[in-house]
Amino acid sequence: MSAAPAAVFFALAALASFVVRDAFLLDSLILILLWGSAAAAWNVAGGYAGQISLGHSAFFGLGAYGAAVLGTRWDLSAWIGLAVGAVVATAAGLVLGFLSNRLRGPYFVLATIAFSQVLLIVASRLRAFTAGSEGIPVPFRPGFWTLGLADKRVWVWIVLVVAVLAYLLQRYLDVSRRGYQLAAVREDEDAALSLGVAARRLKVAAIAVSAALTAVTGALWAQYVGFVDPFYVFSVDLSVRFALASIIGGLGTALGPFLGAVLVTTVETYLRAQFGGIGAGLVGIYLVVYGTALIVMVRFAPQGLVGWLRRS
Amino acid sequence: MSLLSVAGVTKRFGGITANRGISFDVAPGELVGIIGPNGAGKSTLFEIISGFYRPEEGDVRLDGVRLTGLSPDRVCRLGVARTFQKLRPFAGLTVLGNVMVGALTRTKDVRHAREQAREIVARVGLEDKADAHARTLSTGQRKRLELARALATRPRLLLLDEVTGGVDQRTIPALVQLVRELHASGLTLLVIEHNMRVITAVTQRIIALHLGEVIADGPPDVVARDRAVVEAYLGQAYTR
Ligand SMILES: Nc1ncnc2c1ncn2[C@@H]1O[C@H](COP(=O)(O)OP(=O)(O)OP(=O)(O)O)[C@@H](O)[C@H]1O
Ligand SMILES: [Mg+2]
Repeated sequence: MSAAPAAVFFALAALASFVVRDAFLLDSLILILLWGSAAAAWNVAGGYAGQISLGHSAFFGLGAYGAAVLGTRWDLSAWIGLAVGAVVATAAGLVLGFLSNRLRGPYFVLATIAFSQVLLIVASRLRAFTAGSEGIPVPFRPGFWTLGLADKRVWVWIVLVVAVLAYLLQRYLDVSRRGYQLAAVREDEDAALSLGVAARRLKVAAIAVSAALTAVTGALWAQYVGFVDPFYVFSVDLSVRFALASIIGGLGTALGPFLGAVLVTTVETYLRAQFGGIGAGLVGIYLVVYGTALIVMVRFAPQGLVGWLRRS
Repeated sequence: MSLLSVAGVTKRFGGITANRGISFDVAPGELVGIIGPNGAGKSTLFEIISGFYRPEEGDVRLDGVRLTGLSPDRVCRLGVARTFQKLRPFAGLTVLGNVMVGALTRTKDVRHAREQAREIVARVGLEDKADAHARTLSTGQRKRLELARALATRPRLLLLDEVTGGVDQRTIPALVQLVRELHASGLTLLVIEHNMRVITAVTQRIIALHLGEVIADGPPDVVARDRAVVEAYLGQAYTR
């Protein structure tokens, strides 16, 4: 697919930072780009490498905690927290990658869920270090170096850079040698091996990169929102959202996760407006809407929004 | 000096001994046919040579280099390519994409790999299908695709499991011709084939397996008349 639609998409986002003044719209744009980047990160593992994970909130949470813990406890820059979170998530990604070479299909999916839930338990119990289940407020210290930015337009630019990098990473997988090899592994691992592709190493690398990028989005999110709640950042809901945005947009396509994020974020914002705060009932509504969206997509646009656009 | 050397290879699956003390050598440029009734252990032997199975005993060498214990991708990079009896195309990739994956094992340059893939796709007669998705191909076309993909890795030894099995009768001569050409170009081949007419048409040497053991190894006409071979096939006919 040509890069034109993506260029339009990102150019519109950049333009919006100049013309849009409305805080609510800017907030939506930031979240769309952030969730789009997280979904793109998921897509590297789930779409390109074919390793469907429902535990990617683990990496998001590690990034979020990296920024929050280092910022509150040691007064370190949010950027350092982001980097540390990404490194820790890479290590965690290597563990998950190792699992992907032992477990196939549904067993791998279950292992990824368990993985994120173990981190949830650790984060919510390690009171001394993470403040436990109460969560951590992320201090707001004005300045770019501390990522304390009151101006939402600057935030648009920061997440836009991350989004474009995530997009380019996927484009690299569309056209490069590693990308072809990864596609081969996804389609048939044994056949890929028989053609000289180091399948296991490639899968592990894809999952590790995916983990690192997810952690970056987690750290930025924590800094933007200002509070890290373990039950949110390590939730299965969040993992499902990454997967869903990617699947709805178009699995294994570079722009898909961003288009999916537009839909998912819009629907979610609408639901929140309709049904109020994070109540118990809302969780159920999400699942109904997500489930319905998935069924509709699989029925009418199995290649996702990107596939549907390509045809029309 | 032989290119491939298989020495005392034994492989068991629970109570079944799929390969029992198999030994033979293949000279560079040779084309060797492998025959044997269903379940004789032919495919198992290929899995062992290509690194997918590890034998309990014995070892496999390519030009003196031990292959046993290496992963399949390493074995391929050392120069052994194979096709699968049960075909395994990359269904979601195009024909060209499938073949490029093989070519990319030898070159880092994607453009170069694409050019090479185009040549090989033409060589196996799939040029009309180059941009079609592999899932849209017929069985015969898929066989060619697997062959093309394997060739793209520029092997020194090519293992073909059932070239003509399940293929439309009319396309068999073209496939046989292709194998002949590969052989003539100097490639060393090991070919599993059920169709005796096909195998005798392309090779001067046949190895017959039965119940995991080598029961004959020699020129086609000699092997075809060998008592043990005839009995092995008759046995199969009776138990059917
Ligand atoms: N992965 C496996 N697990 C258990 N048994 C196996 C496995 N692979 C092969 N076998 C058994 O080993 C024996 C040899 O099988 P193999 O596939 O090598 O035979 P073959 O000569 O290729 O037969 P065919 O002509 O039907 O392809 C058979 O009895 C088979 O059931
Ligand atoms: Mg077989």
